[in-house]
Amino acid sequence: MTRILALALILLAFVSPAVRAQEALQDERILLTFVPNIQFSPFYLGIQDGHFAEHGFNVTLEHLQEPEVLDLVAAGHADFGIVSGEQVILARAQARDVVYVFEWFQKYPVGLVVQGHNGSGISEISELRDRKVGIPGRFGASYSGLTALLHSAGMTESDIELTEIGFHAPDVFCSKVVSAAVVYINNEPLQILNRSLAGECSDLGMPDVFPVAEQVDLVSNGLIVHSDMLERETEKVQNMVSALGQALKSAIENPARAYLVSLEYVEALPNEVEYVEALQQLSMEQEAFLDTQPSREDIAQSRLDMRGQLGQMFDFDMLEQFDVLLNSIDLWDAEVLGFSELGSWESMLATLELLEFLDGSEVDLTASFTNVFIMGSSE
Amino acid sequence: MLLLLLVWQLITAFGLVSAFLLPPPAQVLDAFVEAVSSGLLARHTLTTLEEMFFGLLLGVSIGLSLGYLIAKAPLLEFILSPIIVAFQSTPIVAYAPLLIIWLGSGVESKIVTTAVIVFFPMLVNTIAGIRAVPPQLQDLMHSLNARPWQSFRHLELPSALPVILAGLRTSATLAVIGAVVGEFVSSGSGLGHLVTLARNLYDTPLVFVSVFTMTFIALSLYGAVALLEWRLLAWRRRSSAS
Amino acid sequence: MKLSLRDISVDFRGANGGRLAALGPISLDVAEGEFVCIVGPSGCGKSTLIRVVAGLQAPTTGIVEADGESISRPSSATAIMFQDANLMPWRSVQDNIALPLELAGVPKAARYATVAELLPQLHLEDFAGAYPAELSGGMAQRVALGRVIVQHPRLLLLDEPFGALDALTREKLSLELLQVWRGSGQTVVMVTHNINEAVLLADRVIVMSSRPGRTVADISIDLPRPRRVEQLFCEAFLILAREVRSAIEKEAA
Repeated sequence: MTRILALALILLAFVSPAVRAQEALQDERILLTFVPNIQFSPFYLGIQDGHFAEHGFNVTLEHLQEPEVLDLVAAGHADFGIVSGEQVILARAQARDVVYVFEWFQKYPVGLVVQGHNGSGISEISELRDRKVGIPGRFGASYSGLTALLHSAGMTESDIELTEIGFHAPDVFCSKVVSAAVVYINNEPLQILNRSLAGECSDLGMPDVFPVAEQVDLVSNGLIVHSDMLERETEKVQNMVSALGQALKSAIENPARAYLVSLEYVEALPNEVEYVEALQQLSMEQEAFLDTQPSREDIAQSRLDMRGQLGQMFDFDMLEQFDVLLNSIDLWDAEVLGFSELGSWESMLATLELLEFLDGSEVDLTASFTNVFIMGSSE
Repeated sequence: MLLLLLVWQLITAFGLVSAFLLPPPAQVLDAFVEAVSSGLLARHTLTTLEEMFFGLLLGVSIGLSLGYLIAKAPLLEFILSPIIVAFQSTPIVAYAPLLIIWLGSGVESKIVTTAVIVFFPMLVNTIAGIRAVPPQLQDLMHSLNARPWQSFRHLELPSALPVILAGLRTSATLAVIGAVVGEFVSSGSGLGHLVTLARNLYDTPLVFVSVFTMTFIALSLYGAVALLEWRLLAWRRRSSAS
Repeated sequence: MKLSLRDISVDFRGANGGRLAALGPISLDVAEGEFVCIVGPSGCGKSTLIRVVAGLQAPTTGIVEADGESISRPSSATAIMFQDANLMPWRSVQDNIALPLELAGVPKAARYATVAELLPQLHLEDFAGAYPAELSGGMAQRVALGRVIVQHPRLLLLDEPFGALDALTREKLSLELLQVWRGSGQTVVMVTHNINEAVLLADRVIVMSSRPGRTVADISIDLPRPRRVEQLFCEAFLILAREVRSAIEKEAA
């Protein structure tokens, strides 16, 4: 009996430092939308490379519908969530007290994909008049984005034939059911292009893309918390914003590494041995390059070089998801990561008013978001 | 029912749950009045009713006729039952997205999801009902030189009717689920769509209004079939009373 | 209708795939307007014989001829009454009686007129709208009898029609049946277990052997008609009944 006790004590002595280290990390869920995808690579990097742990968090990720993410944060069932900016405005108009504390996508990711010039003859948005346009549904970022885009060309929804197609834009677009489709510009145009190259997409040629962001600056995806946390758990929010900033920065600076880390989280990412080895090689070279303190422009150029090298070794099809990542990085990258412009909130509010989504309720935009934690982390 | 309403009122009155998660009854009533007067509720309800009507029509008629054929030809059951059982044991939500891609996001795909979900109870009950027709009565009809149509009209149909109507009662309540599942996946109209819309506008009272309307439709339909049973099966009531 | 059965036999397929001889071979002639009762031990194939004559069951061998024509399917000149009243529970008394007329395409008004005329004779005038589940066993059999009467059959086949009734009701219904039959010129073949019933009703009693059933005795009943219950106690009746009984017992032994 005493021997067993002694053994247990010795074991405990060995184990306890590790246990204590674990305890120091706070379990934290981050609620995301969509499904596991290469676009969430900053979060995977944050977990794998210890950016979250460094700030005291043991993070798990969960994917839900956008309204569910928002309501769970608003109800205090989760501390952190990622939603699109217009959700914050809509929800605040309906008594959900959430605040946007970190702007992840600096550019609005929605756009309109149309059949190439030879196919549709659409070279301007105004030429969409009376054409059939597909959209996932009359809600969310797609709908706000389309409304803003049409508004910029002096049009409204009634000028086009809008049809709800769910998240099947590549299928519907390729079967020529619609002349244009509202898509996430970092992802779906690539899928359409790849199908086109593989001959699976009728004779549509190269699709053209009209990004919303080229016409109007709308606030996009970012991190939200309950407003109570701003005062009660300031430090926690600050730590999360700093951790996410670091993780995002490392994804932007080394997409090869971001891709490799994502392999563990995302189903069906191409992971052929030669491909993984090439990415590992590129990732190591990129780390060495980053040690030379390159400028933001130099890093952007290095990403293009990286893509160039991969393009010589692998075909377009295998690189599709890596290209999605590079496209996404273009939407994330900014001088100051996480910073949100009041103007982008005002444009979004104007768009939502066009849609009559707010039915007269006043929304205080300055209370909808804050940049204080961005300033905090840059110091 | 009243008790439920009272509990609901009390929970919200004492602020046990945030109003945006469970709005007080009065707020839901306001939303209802608003949705009715703006025509919003009527528009979406009509779409759902249309989908349910045609879905029921399609699913019930296929279920009845296929069920009759299978009851009459055991070989057909041998061939078809693996397909039918496999089809039925797959949850409708799993293939609803496929139906949307194939048939588009209009009412057609919802009519089909409704038809699929109401088909099975009709099929199973029709088979059971027709197989349970007493053989002595079949002998009687035979001895009376009844034609096949007469045997169907005067013996098989009335004899199987109680079981078939029980199937219809199940089907009628399932029809709402069929239509709404399709609408949840993708649509521009209908009560399922209204829930999605309200959720995305964070309009919880409107979510409640939509859900209650669905419940009301399902209950009414159930009641309608019960009424039909009451009318058509008057003999059973008399028989059990004696 | 004149009936002629020649070497009728029926085999059924047994559970183990073998063949089970259920009836015959049996031959029988029934004259026009004759009332024949068939008695015999349980399971001797009496009901099978009735089904063959009704055209509901094809014989394995032999032929059945009605007025010189062979029977292979139910004929509208033949009506059958079963041991069970066999009524449709969803039809009222009058609709059950009118069923054969409805199937024959008789218009509703004419159907109901016929039934209304018949109901007093069946002592059912107060039950026209009742459902079968509301009736006693005897009343249900009267409805079945009514359903047979409206067919105006030339051959009436009765398969133990009163077997499920108590003794008094049974006697009463038997005599009612005789009243209906009298003067109708109908040929009747009736299966029964009850020796007294057979002797009281029939012109001839056929005694069948145990399975597979064959004719073992053919006894003429020359009691005066119309028959009455009192005849059950007269000597001529008792002698005939004893003759039938001994034929059955000889077969059973």
